[in-house]
Amino acid sequence: MISDEALMQEFRGGSQAAFEELFTRYRGPLYGLFRRRLERDQRAEDLTQEVFLAVIRASVRYEPRALVRTYLYGIAMNLLAAERRKQFRDSASGEIAAEPTTQDDSDSVLWMRQALGKLDDAEREMVMLREYEQLSYSEIAELLKLPVNTVRSRLFRARMALKEHLKPERNISASAVEVVETAGLPRAEGEAI
Amino acid sequence: MNRMTHPIEPEEVMAYLDGELKADRAKVAAVHLSECAECQGLVAELKSVSQNLNTWNLDSPESAMPPAIAGALAENRAASRYAFPAHGRSLREVFGQRWLTVWRVGALAAILLLAVGIPMLNRRSTKYEYSKPQETVLLVAPKTPEAIPGGGGGGDRDKLETFGKPQSAATAKFKAGQQNESAGEHGPIANGPMTIRTAQLNLVTKEFDKARASLEAILKRHRGYVGELNVGGNTGSGRTLTATLRVPADQLDATMAEVKTLGRVESESQGGQDVTSQYVDLQARLGNARNTEERLTDLLRNRTGKLSDVLAVEQELDRVRGEIEQMEAERKNMANQVSYATVTASITEEYKAQMQVVPPSTSTRVGNAAVEGYRTMADGVVGVVLFLLSTGPSLLLWAAILFFPARVAWKKLRGLAA
Repeated sequence: MISDEALMQEFRGGSQAAFEELFTRYRGPLYGLFRRRLERDQRAEDLTQEVFLAVIRASVRYEPRALVRTYLYGIAMNLLAAERRKQFRDSASGEIAAEPTTQDDSDSVLWMRQALGKLDDAEREMVMLREYEQLSYSEIAELLKLPVNTVRSRLFRARMALKEHLKPERNISASAVEVVETAGLPRAEGEAI
Repeated sequence: MNRMTHPIEPEEVMAYLDGELKADRAKVAAVHLSECAECQGLVAELKSVSQNLNTWNLDSPESAMPPAIAGALAENRAASRYAFPAHGRSLREVFGQRWLTVWRVGALAAILLLAVGIPMLNRRSTKYEYSKPQETVLLVAPKTPEAIPGGGGGGDRDKLETFGKPQSAATAKFKAGQQNESAGEHGPIANGPMTIRTAQLNLVTKEFDKARASLEAILKRHRGYVGELNVGGNTGSGRTLTATLRVPADQLDATMAEVKTLGRVESESQGGQDVTSQYVDLQARLGNARNTEERLTDLLRNRTGKLSDVLAVEQELDRVRGEIEQMEAERKNMANQVSYATVTASITEEYKAQMQVVPPSTSTRVGNAAVEGYRTMADGVVGVVLFLLSTGPSLLLWAAILFFPARVAWKKLRGLAA
């Protein structure tokens, strides 16, 4: 299999097929990254597109100093941060009313998201990048601008905390949904408060 | 969990499960985990957390490429912007705009300087009919062989013209061929030995202008281009055209035969340098370097270790990539030299001495004198201004420093005299 870096170089050389291959490889993972962190499905789709559009626009400037995967996730994290700031501004000014979400989660997923919501922001991000995006410790460190050892110790702490949070009975309560909301995680359908 | 009973830290157990532990520590962890029930419990807890997290599955998005991306890809816009969404403008964008403005102002100033400066320079030189026989004019390279300027005519006399390498259709075709060649690694070698062909030809012609025009027509016919072309000459001697021509190697003989018809051949030589072994060697080294790059990339992606190790691998990867780029450029240059032969042609005009040289007319001489007078005056004014600007501040400073001591000294002298 051709490496991502080789594909990126080919794309810079003008190969459209190379970009299509990169798109095929990373569309799903990037969509998952946004979908698990945002409330609305459509925004996840839009932001996934934004990542690839940014890659096309910046292809001339791209320098093969980092892995393409890290590069793509780096763009995605920037976009995500901007999206969260926008959501915060909108919610503060009351521009956007609560919109129905398109997620249809089972109880177990809600229970697990509730547990994730109780984690510290950075630690939750580490756990999610490790478990869902399957990033290595060094990649997480690069994305979050932290030392690798810090990532390892905080990831361990987060997983231990998560273990504790997952111990209680699977009880979806309003307070649980509140916790999910305050933690910035998407809320499930039918749970509008 | 302490080191006395457990040779590995709990975090290391987690790192071991994640495949992020170094090989030596991973061995210790594996041995310990096989015999420590407490650590096995920790492993079970960590695995349970992962399993719970992985219950959150998502539907796959549509696999087709969205029209927005397909459109952007088609346009393949080179303009790059920072990866921020459309809403709001980031600081970087704002500063980017500011820098853009600075650049625009700078460019405008440069254009104004050129617009004012060039006519002034021209005014100084154009009135002199035979004053500067070797003046260099750089011309923008024409985009097609048709755009190569035609035979110079009288206006070319006493001027030297240098043409850059034109991006002709043939060149573009060659470049495209080279890209294909680089994709297919050993392309040119399969066709036989690689020889860099060169030729030199000196001609003398009676019809200089016609020869020059014919030379360009010959090049056009054989899909060649002018690497460099100089025309020079002095009063009292014939003009000389020296040109470096690049023609496809397979067209060299035909081109030479036609060029020889432009005048009397004074001298001719042809040479060839076999670079097959160099090319093969370069290809092999390039292949090895690419393999090394691939291995290092895999290593960086799949293996884990200390940060210093990762940085060392990245440095090595940078070095290897630099070597690859250098070798790739060398390979392309060599392929270019092989594909296109170089002909150094020199065409000299057979000069017929004229018995009567017509002197410049009175009006021209008066005009020249007026321009000379104006130039001398302007140079004098500029010289004075420059002198004042360069030494004025120093003179003022010393005058200020020495004024009072001089005044006191002067008064004392006057007092003594009185």
